Amino acid sequence: MRKLTLLMILVLSLALASTALAGGKEKVYGKGISAPDTVRVSDVLADPDAYVGKTIRVTGMAVAVCEHRGCWVSLASDQEGETIRVKVKDGEIVFPPEIKGDLVTAEGVWTANQLTLEQTKAVCAAEARKQGEDYDPDDVETCMTTYQLSGTGAVVASK
Amino acid sequence: MRNFRKVCRTLHRDFGFLAVGLTLVYAVSGLAVNHAHHWDANYTRTLEPLRIDPVGLGPTAEIEPIVISRLGITDPIKNTWRAGEDKFQIFLEGLQYDVNLVTGEVIRHGFAKRPVFWDVNFMHLNSGKAPWTGIADAYAGILVLLALTGPFLIKGSKGLTGRGGILLALGIMVPLIYGVITRTTH
Repeated sequence: MRKLTLLMILVLSLALASTALAGGKEKVYGKGISAPDTVRVSDVLADPDAYVGKTIRVTGMAVAVCEHRGCWVSLASDQEGETIRVKVKDGEIVFPPEIKGDLVTAEGVWTANQLTLEQTKAVCAAEARKQGEDYDPDDVETCMTTYQLSGTGAVVASK
Repeated sequence: MRNFRKVCRTLHRDFGFLAVGLTLVYAVSGLAVNHAHHWDANYTRTLEPLRIDPVGLGPTAEIEPIVISRLGITDPIKNTWRAGEDKFQIFLEGLQYDVNLVTGEVIRHGFAKRPVFWDVNFMHLNSGKAPWTGIADAYAGILVLLALTGPFLIKGSKGLTGRGGILLALGIMVPLIYGVITRTTH
């Protein structure tokens, strides 16, 4: 039994040591990245429908992260003020808040989501609340399409 | 049967001791993440409103050093981002400043890993993947061993043929009934 205990302690120590040493400047999330070329965020946002259904790789600074489950990250565009959202499956990939300000390269399928008028109004109301602006639901007459990268993997380069 | 019970007792005792640490990790984390909708089980977060003299809507290269100076930031800055014409963000380790360039209003967001909880949740959710996967698999195996040897530790009215058997059946019925209900309703 003493030998078994010693063996278990040795295995645990090795496992924990390798975990600690695994931390580096670059951290891979999910399946990582494999697409050959990076598409500029501004190019995607300039013509979002052209990329729908395609697997793309984008790079940008993480400027917002889902606070509840770490299930999305917003990446800054190469153009000021523009961002895109990388959404991942809950629990499959968890983006921590520490990555805000770090450079993220993410890969996934660019997807479009056509909202109903009610959903569009709800989105506009939430955005107005966030910005502290007045909102009149009657001003919303057309349905909105939202776009996001359904992320399968990412690499975060810590500063 | 006596030898079998003796083996069960030995295995249950030794692996039981071995399982204490990990059981506490998984139990504490289980409670924490079960209630993730009530609280952030991993991070403490703070929001602090501040105010600086408005910087104005100049080019980013011009306003950036002014904002940093007016906020008195001396710690290393990871990055900055012009989120909008009047919105400027500064990212530091564990800190984020959201600055309104027109009004001078600032929100300082702070976040830090919760002691103990972040660590046990990291293990429980296997965020680090291998090699923790191996440890977690071994722990699962130990739990199976404890579950299978436990019922044979005591004989008589308090054992499997008496009260122990009733409690064992109850413990099995709970997930079984819930499983049947969820399968038929979902």
